Amino acid sequence: MRAAALLIALTVLGTARAAELPVFDAHVHYSHDAWESLPPKEAIVLLRKAGLKRALVSSSGDDGQQRLYAEAPELVLPSLRPYRSRGEISTWVRDDSVPSYLEERLKKFRYVALGEFHLYGADADLAVPRRLVQLAKQHALFLHAHSDIDAVERIFRQDPGARVLWAHAGFERPEKVREMLRKHRNLWCDLAFRSEHGSGGKVPAEWRAAFLEFPDRFMVGTDTFTPERWHYIVEHAQWSRQWLADLPAEVAERIAWKNGETLFGSLLRR
Amino acid sequence: MIARTAVLALLLATGVAAAQGLDWSADEVRAVLRHGPWPPPMRPDPSNRVSGKRDAIALGEKLFFEPRLSRDGRLLCASCHVPYRGWQDGRARALGLAEVDRNTPSVLNVRMQRWFGWDGAGDSLWAQSLRPILDAREMGASAAQAAALVRGDAEYGCRYRRSFGMAPEADDEAVLVGVAKALAAFQETLVSGRSAFDDFRDALARGDAAAAARYPRAAQRGLRLFVGKGACNACHLGPAFSNGEFHDTGVPFFIRGGVDPGRHGGIRRLQASAYNLLGRYNDDRSGAAATRTRHVALEHRNFGEFKVPGLRNAALTAPYMHNGSLATLADVVRHYSELDVERLHADGEAILKPLRLTPQDSADLVAFLESLTERESALGERQAALPCSP
Repeated sequence: MRAAALLIALTVLGTARAAELPVFDAHVHYSHDAWESLPPKEAIVLLRKAGLKRALVSSSGDDGQQRLYAEAPELVLPSLRPYRSRGEISTWVRDDSVPSYLEERLKKFRYVALGEFHLYGADADLAVPRRLVQLAKQHALFLHAHSDIDAVERIFRQDPGARVLWAHAGFERPEKVREMLRKHRNLWCDLAFRSEHGSGGKVPAEWRAAFLEFPDRFMVGTDTFTPERWHYIVEHAQWSRQWLADLPAEVAERIAWKNGETLFGSLLRR
Repeated sequence: MIARTAVLALLLATGVAAAQGLDWSADEVRAVLRHGPWPPPMRPDPSNRVSGKRDAIALGEKLFFEPRLSRDGRLLCASCHVPYRGWQDGRARALGLAEVDRNTPSVLNVRMQRWFGWDGAGDSLWAQSLRPILDAREMGASAAQAAALVRGDAEYGCRYRRSFGMAPEADDEAVLVGVAKALAAFQETLVSGRSAFDDFRDALARGDAAAAARYPRAAQRGLRLFVGKGACNACHLGPAFSNGEFHDTGVPFFIRGGVDPGRHGGIRRLQASAYNLLGRYNDDRSGAAATRTRHVALEHRNFGEFKVPGLRNAALTAPYMHNGSLATLADVVRHYSELDVERLHADGEAILKPLRLTPQDSADLVAFLESLTERESALGERQAALPCSP
């Protein structure tokens, strides 16, 4: 009876803790069709409603997240995509005009990362992605890479000191993710658009092992790849709190927001 | 039988020159044959103890055309599922007591589905059938109203007893479920008739090149695109031309005041429903019918996914997509031809690519879709029901 009461008390405490947990959303896009349907003020209201501490935001083109940043600089961390408009996901790697576009934006605005960009396999060694990696190094920016393992390896070969936020953890199995994290100390993962690590509010053993081995290397993210998905940010944050509550409190806090804050929080103050 | 099998084997091994120079490879023939035969045999729904029962079908038919199942006594199931409009309403979005956010799907061939509604919130046809009765925007009634109708009307009371072997229950909700199960029994009988495509498909199956040649050449070219370059059959598969699952095909899903979460909301509603197959109204004591409900998992990708509709009689059921946003079949073909891949997640719907069809390809694909229209209804004329005798 006493044990049952204790369990209930812990559950209540755990739920309360989970409900209060701030979230650093490491994967938000605010592209032109989003800002047309959801103006910056309304977008910020949604981010606050979700209880976000910060959000790493990129957009196609870049004007969207600059508008958002102007609206709430304490909440929005801008990241620069190599896409001037939607539709350049698969063409940017061979588009010679991309580097000068990036350089121009980097002169005008402040960022914490380059990306999210889509880059696979040997394309990572093409001239345009190489320049992107150089620019990241030159400006001390993270690379937010939606990439397969091959492309991530090539990025690190180009710049062993690169800092890579691996979008969706490459959609790789947790064992493979752990291998990559062991191999590359400057690799972090966002868990956006994945569900299996927290389905039903429970963390399966293989993911638990990954989170416990690398509590400093994971972040959550919504991935608002269409404007409609902005209306999912609140629910996603709540979903994240539910599965994070299945982890030790300290690990949950790190993944929920501390990792993002530690890595990105001070970059704009440089 | 042996001879037929041998002919089919020969066709599959060598392909077939079906008609007017249009050669079909063995792979193509195999793909086409998977869309039949039609109609498929009736398999009673184990979760519904009156599925396939004549008395329940008659009761369900009467209820389908019963306005007293709506709050204001003016709406019936057939107000939206209009028999002479392909069992839908021809509107972009359904209009019950108020306008809703989704297009009315036809209930023809509905028994071949595994999840019901655009979001699959129903895991049985009977559970789906009671949803519009209760929805405030549709028929806006209640369990109490449905139960009072069945208990208070001698004809319904009689038919209920004959269908279920018992008088209407004292519990309103149990009677509502009985009403829904009778409605489902009726809808299970709504199967579309055979189409020009079915004749072609069966001609291919028996190696009858002369009969196959009667299928219009444009439809054949469209069919070849459908099972080939277009890979439309990756989702629109089987005799009903649907895999019964849910996909994000790049159709915007904003609605007034927000977004329609589609399958994501459907799973949530399914899991919260007292009428799902994990609940007490499931008549399948083996537990097998509830397996898919037990294991369905909520995923981020479900947000904005909608069910793959069947394509039989598609030409009779405009407008199209979950929100009726596309007016014609040509518009639907254009949607897939010019698909906005930016609306799809890079690791989500990998099967979907813009088809970049020529005008001729597009016209052929439309011709094929039109060839899925039944030549004549498989349903008999509605007969006036004789009074029920206990």
